[in-house]
Amino acid sequence: MADYTSNLASSRPRPDGMGKVTGALNYFTDLQFPNMLYGKVLRSEHPHAKIQQLNIEKAEQLPGVLAVITSKDVPGLNGFGLITQDQPVFCDQVVRYVGDAVAAVAAITPEIAERAIKRIEVTYEPLPIMDDPESAMNPDSTPLHSGGNILHEASYENGDVDEGFPLCDVIIEETYLLPRQMHAYMETEGGVFVPERDGRLSVYAGTQHGYKDRLQLARILNLSEERIRVISSPMGGSFGGKDELNIQPYGAILALKTGRPVKIHQSRRESMISGIKKHPMKITMKTGAKKTGEIVAHEVRIIADTGAYATLGPAVLDFAVEHAIGPYVIPNVKTKGYAVFTNNGVAGEFRGFGGNQITFALEGQIDRLADDLHMSPLKLRKKNLRQGTDPGPVGQMIAPTNGDSLVLDEITQSPLLALDKRDSDNPWKKTGVGVALTMHGGGLGFGRMDPSGGKISLNHEGKIEIAFGFEEVGQGLLAVIENITTEAIGCSSEDLHIVIGDTDKVPHSGSSTASRGTSMIWHSLQRLKGPFKEKLLDTAAKRSGYQKEQLCVGEKGIWLNGQRILTFEQLFLENEPISIDTKFDFPTTPNSIPGGHFLYSFAAVAVKVEVDLITGAIKVTDIDQAVSAGPVVNPNGYIGQIEGGTIMALGYTLLEEAAMQQSRYTTENFDTYILPTIQDIPPKMNVRAIEDLWEGDMYGPRGVGEIGTVALAPAIVRAIYDATGHWVTKLPVSREEILHAREMVF
Amino acid sequence: MIEKVKVNSQRINISFTVNGEQQQLQVEATKRLVDILREDLSLTGAKISCEIGRCGACSVEVDGELVNSCLMRAYQLNGKSVYTVESLSENGLHDIQKAFLEEGGFQCGYCTPGMIMAVKTLLEKNKKPTDEEILDALSGNICRCTGYAGIIRSVKKVIQAI
Repeated sequence: MADYTSNLASSRPRPDGMGKVTGALNYFTDLQFPNMLYGKVLRSEHPHAKIQQLNIEKAEQLPGVLAVITSKDVPGLNGFGLITQDQPVFCDQVVRYVGDAVAAVAAITPEIAERAIKRIEVTYEPLPIMDDPESAMNPDSTPLHSGGNILHEASYENGDVDEGFPLCDVIIEETYLLPRQMHAYMETEGGVFVPERDGRLSVYAGTQHGYKDRLQLARILNLSEERIRVISSPMGGSFGGKDELNIQPYGAILALKTGRPVKIHQSRRESMISGIKKHPMKITMKTGAKKTGEIVAHEVRIIADTGAYATLGPAVLDFAVEHAIGPYVIPNVKTKGYAVFTNNGVAGEFRGFGGNQITFALEGQIDRLADDLHMSPLKLRKKNLRQGTDPGPVGQMIAPTNGDSLVLDEITQSPLLALDKRDSDNPWKKTGVGVALTMHGGGLGFGRMDPSGGKISLNHEGKIEIAFGFEEVGQGLLAVIENITTEAIGCSSEDLHIVIGDTDKVPHSGSSTASRGTSMIWHSLQRLKGPFKEKLLDTAAKRSGYQKEQLCVGEKGIWLNGQRILTFEQLFLENEPISIDTKFDFPTTPNSIPGGHFLYSFAAVAVKVEVDLITGAIKVTDIDQAVSAGPVVNPNGYIGQIEGGTIMALGYTLLEEAAMQQSRYTTENFDTYILPTIQDIPPKMNVRAIEDLWEGDMYGPRGVGEIGTVALAPAIVRAIYDATGHWVTKLPVSREEILHAREMVF
Repeated sequence: MIEKVKVNSQRINISFTVNGEQQQLQVEATKRLVDILREDLSLTGAKISCEIGRCGACSVEVDGELVNSCLMRAYQLNGKSVYTVESLSENGLHDIQKAFLEEGGFQCGYCTPGMIMAVKTLLEKNKKPTDEEILDALSGNICRCTGYAGIIRSVKKVIQAI
């Protein structure tokens, strides 16, 4: 009996709901413009090769083709990347992965564009392929970029592991292998690029940071930022995958060159080969504890396959290094990580941001230690857990929090953990349970520009206009804005006009990433509400003759003793605009640790699995989880983020891998890249939100976009061990491995 | 003008109904139903995502059956009756749409039109489906956002109200 519960009441429908359930909402890939052309990008045939010749003549000659562009047509910088612009818009000398762009066309139909692409002649001289990060790290390897193949190194050291390990009674050393996961947003990259009559360019394409796209496009197009308008919301999912530029440079150049609107919508195959992915990682951990359960030493080595270009590879590695000890206190720690260039698919930002990989390894270590110590895994975790005012995982000052302890205590009560293993009467089905815990930083962290802000004003229609430079990727940001604003101002949702995702209309709020949106909207309203209400009441007092102190802001206007005396519309005056904006930075730790976080959220997950010993199939039958991320802003959104994140993590654990051989994808669509369907989800899930914050905490609700994706994988693997006695170290869990283990165990 | 390009696929006349309205079109014989809906009829509720019939984002109802409109072609459409998500809210929101709104049955919304059509086709045939029948009927529609729990809550809400 399917049963999905939580401790939260259901909330009112979200503002973008009507358009979505009726199908009336236009996504950018639904848009049509008069005279619109269709663009298509030619990607590399090889993972690594020299371009010897590139001939576009035959493509240009095809009737219906209006433009064929290559590196020669890039007006400005032939490069992009959120931090380092090392990815060519068009390659003209060397291609470094199968997603590298070589040319693009615009034609009057998609079919003609496709045919034109096939007429572009490129002669390549294949170069040796670097598909293994460890070989690529070797100093003798051919460098893919001028700085060598190690894109980034990060480390953290505390105490002395060499002194710590000899004190340990039990030491676990294990290597964990994590796969390349695809975001698999249902709407692939796409949009329309429109040259406007005034010479400006309008870009209708999904992203997670409109202003950053504008900056990147300005460099590429050699235009001032003001001449570009980026309309960036809504979109059909992103999960971190659309934060980096994708098709925008091609659409933009084609539109400017032809003077006509150009639409590009990547096919799933194009999306797969060119889109960024989650970092595959190889993580080796050596962890030692005393008989008492006290963890004494922890040594970690991380090798992240970052693919051909940088994008956010360094930041993802920093995040993994930071979270390598999670919420535990370990006196001797040595963590070393490398993000390494290869000819594989580009890895970058992905919901969880390195936390998924490192937590899988860390929690695996804790479980194995508990087993060797004959101690309950919960007890071992509790024993080594940080206390509320302890520093963060890299010794940095963080906002005091006991979220880890709250979620752990909550999950200890889970009925799953009282499971009677004899409940299965089928000898070929084994059941097991597992628990895992995680701590996840929000915001970009120390040393990374992380400004935010918002703007509130009374507009000419008498609506309270609240504007943020964020995007609605599906996460429910609009509902968060609606809930926080109506509560802060005291107006109703009908009084609001929410503006997001349009660089011509919104203030700078930073990116819609890193679980920062909800948090930043709340912080903005804390700053905006006082001065804005003050201005409204000043005006109302002037207009009505009543004392300001007698008045209050309420539904549809200004109220006096339970009666509305002025509507918002009556308050609006062209020459006396009421408008307040705010700018501030996401709170970070004061300690100078690159990427070090200050605000964290927590989750503890208990799962029950059923292992089929005949087929090797793993069925997750129950997931129970506790989440600590501060007050809940929008219950449906919160539950949806946790449930959805959890099932994305279930795919990561059991099904999904964007596998490559010789740096070529061996899967190019959903027939072989297997996503969880409705048949794969457990019949029971429960989400318990713990809203308490540390006494005196002034930082409000934390975002929950990522926290639901982190702790499931280690919990499932522990449950498989509980059922079979076999420890899995590589994801996704292979059925063959389970069958092989069956032979070994029984 | 180079714009008058002959597309070298044979054009045929087809006659079928979409959301109850008769349509006479001259299109290439191999044109996909999803493109006919989106380009010729401006019905963009059916979405394009995998184009190989694996994700269900383009699901519509054809003669009472759920169909991936990326797999059906113009030459197969004569005399057929097609319903898209746009038909559901012609007289106010359908109960399925209301339930999706209230129970968090969607997030990004891109799979939602197809998912809602899958629920509609199920409930037209079977007013009180079991859990197993619900899972079976929706197993061809992928949602990457919700983890399906909100979708199942929505479907159950509709069934309870019937």
